[in-house]
Amino acid sequence: MADEMKNTLEIKGLTIQYVTGDEVVHAVTGVNITIPVGKTLGLVGETGAGKTTTALSILNLVPDPPGKIISGEIFLEGEDVLKMNDKRLREIRGNMVAMVFQDPMTSLNPIKTVGEQIAEGIKIHRKVDDKASLEQAKSMLELVGIPGGRAGEYPHQFSGGMKQRVVIAIALACSPDLLIADEPTTALDVTIQAQVLKLINELREQSRMSMLMITHDLGIVAEVCDTVAIMYAGRIVEYGTLEDIFDHLRHPYTKGLFDSLPDIGNRRAELKPIRGLIPDPVNLPPGCAFHPRCDYAKPECSQQLPAIKRISDMHYVQCHLYADTDMSML
Amino acid sequence: MESSSAPKRNFTTKKEFYRQFRKQSIAYELWLRFMKNPTAVLGLVLFVIIVLGAILAQTLADYDTVVIKINIGNRLHGPSWDHWFGTDELGRDILARILHGARVSLLIGIAAVGVSLFVGGAFGAVAGYYGGRLDSLIMRAMDVFLCLPDVLLAMAIVAAFGKTMVNLVIAIGLSFAPRFARVVRSAVMGVRENEYVEAARSIGARDLWIIRHHILINCMGPIIVQVTLYVASAILCIAALSFLGLGIQAPVPEWGNMLASGRTFMRDYPYIVIAPGLAIFFSILALNLLGDGLRDTLDPRLKQ
Repeated sequence: MADEMKNTLEIKGLTIQYVTGDEVVHAVTGVNITIPVGKTLGLVGETGAGKTTTALSILNLVPDPPGKIISGEIFLEGEDVLKMNDKRLREIRGNMVAMVFQDPMTSLNPIKTVGEQIAEGIKIHRKVDDKASLEQAKSMLELVGIPGGRAGEYPHQFSGGMKQRVVIAIALACSPDLLIADEPTTALDVTIQAQVLKLINELREQSRMSMLMITHDLGIVAEVCDTVAIMYAGRIVEYGTLEDIFDHLRHPYTKGLFDSLPDIGNRRAELKPIRGLIPDPVNLPPGCAFHPRCDYAKPECSQQLPAIKRISDMHYVQCHLYADTDMSML
Repeated sequence: MESSSAPKRNFTTKKEFYRQFRKQSIAYELWLRFMKNPTAVLGLVLFVIIVLGAILAQTLADYDTVVIKINIGNRLHGPSWDHWFGTDELGRDILARILHGARVSLLIGIAAVGVSLFVGGAFGAVAGYYGGRLDSLIMRAMDVFLCLPDVLLAMAIVAAFGKTMVNLVIAIGLSFAPRFARVVRSAVMGVRENEYVEAARSIGARDLWIIRHHILINCMGPIIVQVTLYVASAILCIAALSFLGLGIQAPVPEWGNMLASGRTFMRDYPYIVIAPGLAIFFSILALNLLGDGLRDTLDPRLKQ
């Protein structure tokens, strides 16, 4: 690798489609993502923008059929996930990459004790016996702030926030290099959200783990992410450091996202939602997919896909507004 | 958890009292739910009586001296204190033969269902988990077997391979296998879509591990119900085969062959067939009530 900094994850030109009957759903198109070791990338976008599909492709778990990875490369510490055989894939899943799912109510098996479920990954990857893995499970439980004595209880005996802690313990049991958190706090109460985020952040820092944080909550992004990718209709429309996105945002969609946040300083201000709805991924508008909703749309927006423009060191945007702009002027 | 040093809490309700046990298992909760269903409890009680009868059969009546020993002087006695259900055409105590017959029926019934659960369950789980073409292939093959009436299929197998007890188990087991394949398949298909299955895949579990550790244990409800109901069918099937002379052979007592040999004396000595008939009736009833009760317990949504 030419980069002096080692990357945990590098996705290049990833395109995924769901083919059902004669319809083609363009879930992910030409996505490029890089996560350096120990850093966190926030993948932000509306429901249906392709965030979860991108995440599942890192584990090569996109449901097939109907999902098809059309092109692209996903390098996990230099090794292409899409070229791995089943055995190697099973080795990396849970061991190198682990995932925290959105809804802790459904991602735990209701009739196994939480201890057994945490021990499962340890048993699969570390080849230790039942007793040793259960002991480790207990200490994992303590790590996420649940008394080890509760390892023998079933998921229905835990509250939502504690269940999500258990899910996090399962994901971290084999100390992965990359943690994929797929909207880990969406199903939780606001008060619990902060606790869970804090926990994830602390554990991540302790083990110098990289993280892909999928969310639609810009507040979470501000709190935990180093870089941000804004996703719209399967494409990354803006990509940059936290500072680039929050202070120097370029893309009209990113602006729309920020404008639709309530302003706590001015309580009388009306919310400014982005008009229209996310387009049907079967029938994406020609040109830039965002142009029907864009306040700055120009004639060429509906005809030609904008090129990806580099604005500064890490900051990229895919929008016609900046096609002719000399970046040194900004 | 609550400390044990607070025993005098007068606001302790029944529910609160049970809560401390809930920690142990969900099995306890299910047990409480089961006990609220009177017909299910009746089924369980009947079934336990039958099982106890089968277990204690040898203690209550010796096999060699009472059950198969011919005693012509005693033939065709009506019910009395010495012989509660009377004696049969060869002077053997009918109650003793029914108790020993329960052993045979239960043993073969359970073993046969075990065979069909294993064979059908394996095919059903694979078909349900992988879906697609493999599923169609397996299930169409099962449908072909399902077209044949199971007594007929079992008869064919026994007739071809001999009338031993093992062959009987295999015959009945195989003829029930397609039904289990269907039950297990549909249960697996329902569980397969759960997020915890995907979560298990995401930590690197292989398919067989997922089927064993996550899918099948979550299908236990419908499987247990079907097992109970099919043990009843299997017992009926054995009785039918024995009645036709293809099942258990005399002098070994079995309810079906007791009916068959008593048939000629039915007009003058009806008790000779009433007793084995009732034995079949009550064991089927017990298992069906039990099965229905278990279904209501394990899947309350099915109850209308």
